[in-house]
Amino acid sequence: MFLQYVINGLSIGSVYALIAIGYNMVYGILELLNFAHGDVYAVGCFVTLALIGLKQHVVVAILGGMMAGFTINLIVERFAYRPVRFSGRVTPTISAVGIAYIMRNIIMKIWGPETYPFNIGIKASYFTVGKVVFGTLQIYILLIAVALMIFISLLLKRTKMGQAVVSISQSIPTAALMGIPVNRVIAMVYGVGAALGVVGGVLFCAYYESIFLGIGFMLGTMKAWMSSIVGGIGSLKGAVMGALILGLTESFVSGYVSTVYRDAYVWGVFILFVLIKPQGLFPAQISEKV
Amino acid sequence: MGKGKSRALPGGLIVLVLAALIPLVVRGDYHLRVLNMVMLYSIVALSINLIVGFSGQLDFGRSAFVGLGAYWSAILMLRLHVPFLVAFLSAGLFCTLIGAGLGLLCRKSSFDYLTLITIGFNEICRLIFLNWLPVTNGAMGLRRIPAPSLFGFTFDTNVRYFYFSLVLLTLCYVAIRRITKSKLGRAFEAVRDDPIAAAYSGIRVPDYKVLNFALASFFTGIAGSAMVHYTQYASPFNYTLDESIYQLQMAILGGLGSLPGSILGTALLVIAPEISRVFYEYRLMFVGVLMVVMMIWAPNGILGRAGIGERVIGLARFLPMPSRKAARTGGEAR
Repeated sequence: MFLQYVINGLSIGSVYALIAIGYNMVYGILELLNFAHGDVYAVGCFVTLALIGLKQHVVVAILGGMMAGFTINLIVERFAYRPVRFSGRVTPTISAVGIAYIMRNIIMKIWGPETYPFNIGIKASYFTVGKVVFGTLQIYILLIAVALMIFISLLLKRTKMGQAVVSISQSIPTAALMGIPVNRVIAMVYGVGAALGVVGGVLFCAYYESIFLGIGFMLGTMKAWMSSIVGGIGSLKGAVMGALILGLTESFVSGYVSTVYRDAYVWGVFILFVLIKPQGLFPAQISEKV
Repeated sequence: MGKGKSRALPGGLIVLVLAALIPLVVRGDYHLRVLNMVMLYSIVALSINLIVGFSGQLDFGRSAFVGLGAYWSAILMLRLHVPFLVAFLSAGLFCTLIGAGLGLLCRKSSFDYLTLITIGFNEICRLIFLNWLPVTNGAMGLRRIPAPSLFGFTFDTNVRYFYFSLVLLTLCYVAIRRITKSKLGRAFEAVRDDPIAAAYSGIRVPDYKVLNFALASFFTGIAGSAMVHYTQYASPFNYTLDESIYQLQMAILGGLGSLPGSILGTALLVIAPEISRVFYEYRLMFVGVLMVVMMIWAPNGILGRAGIGERVIGLARFLPMPSRKAARTGGEAR
């Protein structure tokens, strides 16, 4: 049974990893608690669902969902985050919470609170090694997560745009003085973060074969946030590792301790972790950047 | 100081006397019920204001404390049959303890972690309320919680409970006002405005954060207890994260850092869903829009410093109407 729990944990964790990558990118660069991340990409996922319902090809549908997430976050950034960017910590956070509620109620208004079946055409097949069951979809998801992680770190390191993003994460005024169009780059970061979130969300829904309102906040923002903090804020490798650890914890708690109280225990473990090692397992190497 | 007090006290007394006369005018049970809920939620909003407004800590888990206070005193009275006063006050003390414990956990942690920990705490509490069947009766909730009785007098009608809530709100208001005007309150404000400067002025920032959490939790706890004895029903679905956010918005709308503002904000957000069914359905949407719009244009709410209220008064000064001040100076000139 132990090995099966490990496999289950890793496959849940890889789903969280996909969401955490997009989250941690924005979080690490702008240091804003993006409460709205999950709910924004949830809108994108529902758009994907609607496009699949309109008999579009899956790839077209996912691209449409990404475009929706991208556009929404551009608008949200312009009207809700940019005006409060320099006004302390409490103000932008509350503004983001407000956006989360607006997005959730938009979904509620259009699609309602029902759970819909979600199928992106990847046939979920299983094979067994010994007594342990593997799912092929889970392996795909883990591979996609790792590939995205490598792709984004290369993008940040090797391209001019990526370097602009890194410099903004260190100091916005200095970046502006160096001639970086700060507002445009930050808006892009938000947009790309939401688009990545939509990819993660779609695979998340494909993994559970269903989609409902709750994928946004409790299963999206919170898990991504916990993964980012466990792994280390601003580190993409940390986001993936943190998500895998989160998945393993969930799997072991529901396997050995209690299914009903799973989330309570996971939160408890998480709070303890934050107290012992607040900088996370793989903190972003700030000294190297400077 | 003394001058300000002597001026503020009669004003407060007048408001209090007017409020005490309300049941003579408002007869309907339904209206009194809404007013009672406004007063009880006001205590919660005041405690949130103490944490967010005066100390600058963002707490998203207040309804967990409302729930802890409610369940604690309900269970004590239902299962152990202790007198109301004991259950009521011990609910406050229990929440103080839990709040101090949570504060101790957050002692060293920065802003982000505190926010996350309070959300986690809210989830943990909700799951316990929902799943600890032998004690909390799970999703069914606790029913037939006895109405409060003090010295043989039972507060079992809406009018009686009106006075109970009014006295409770007044006591809490005065207590919180005393706290915020004292050295303690100034220390909280110093921590909010600049933790580093506060530390250099000899304020032990982590200790004050813990103290702030514990103190506010006391008020939240007794408010939760008073609410559950009024509705006589405790349900785990009343103590969710959404509730916490709604309560937070009460304090924000009225104005962070303004105590009358908290009561005003609570009144608006409790009464509005009762007036309009449509508003009730969209209340979280409305709160979301309100949060964004207010954070951009009026982060200090209606009655906060440089808030909407002051701005409206400021605008009125530019109108060609003879304002009081202008009239007075004009009179002297003549």
